[in-house]
Amino acid sequence: QVSVLYFARSAELAGLRCESLWVPRRITARQLWEEIVRAHPRLAVIQDQVVFAVRQEYVLLGDQLLVLQPGDEVAVIPPISGG
Amino acid sequence: LCLGTTRNNFEGKKVIHLEYEAYTSMAETEIKKICRDVRQKWPSIKHIAVHHRLGVVPITEASVIIAVSSPHRAESLEAVMYCINTLKASVPIWKKVCLE
Repeated sequence: QVSVLYFARSAELAGLRCESLWVPRRITARQLWEEIVRAHPRLAVIQDQVVFAVRQEYVLLGDQLLVLQPGDEVAVIPPISGG
Repeated sequence: LCLGTTRNNFEGKKVIHLEYEAYTSMAETEIKKICRDVRQKWPSIKHIAVHHRLGVVPITEASVIIAVSSPHRAESLEAVMYCINTLKASVPIWKKVCLE
């Protein structure tokens, strides 16, 4: 069970900022995104613009295998615009 | 010193204010990484300060400030440039532009 955090546009589309999600311990970034879109279909529109931050490290939405621990934070990161 | 100030226009429209949100814990970690990088690249640097406002920032006010001190000006100027560029590329902060 991981904590998914939503920010900016992704929070607007998902309608929430934080939730718990049950996912397999070993899952690719792409598969994790598919799980999230299944729960919040409106997120599909930003698919090409987001990356993840898993345990505060950026991960592209690709085939990288994530090894998740219970309680891990996964953040949905739309294009950043600070500074 | 680099001071980022809210402009009053965006794509030809009038800006009322900017609103910033952040993935705070990761933003702090990323800013610390930037500071560590700066100390490695420019060992003569004395002090570094990075501050980013969150929430509403009205026009003409500063949303970000980066201050660096060193015995000679070249290192400070290069380090400040590096800080702001890297911050914009890697720190999880988002702005929302609120138009009239």
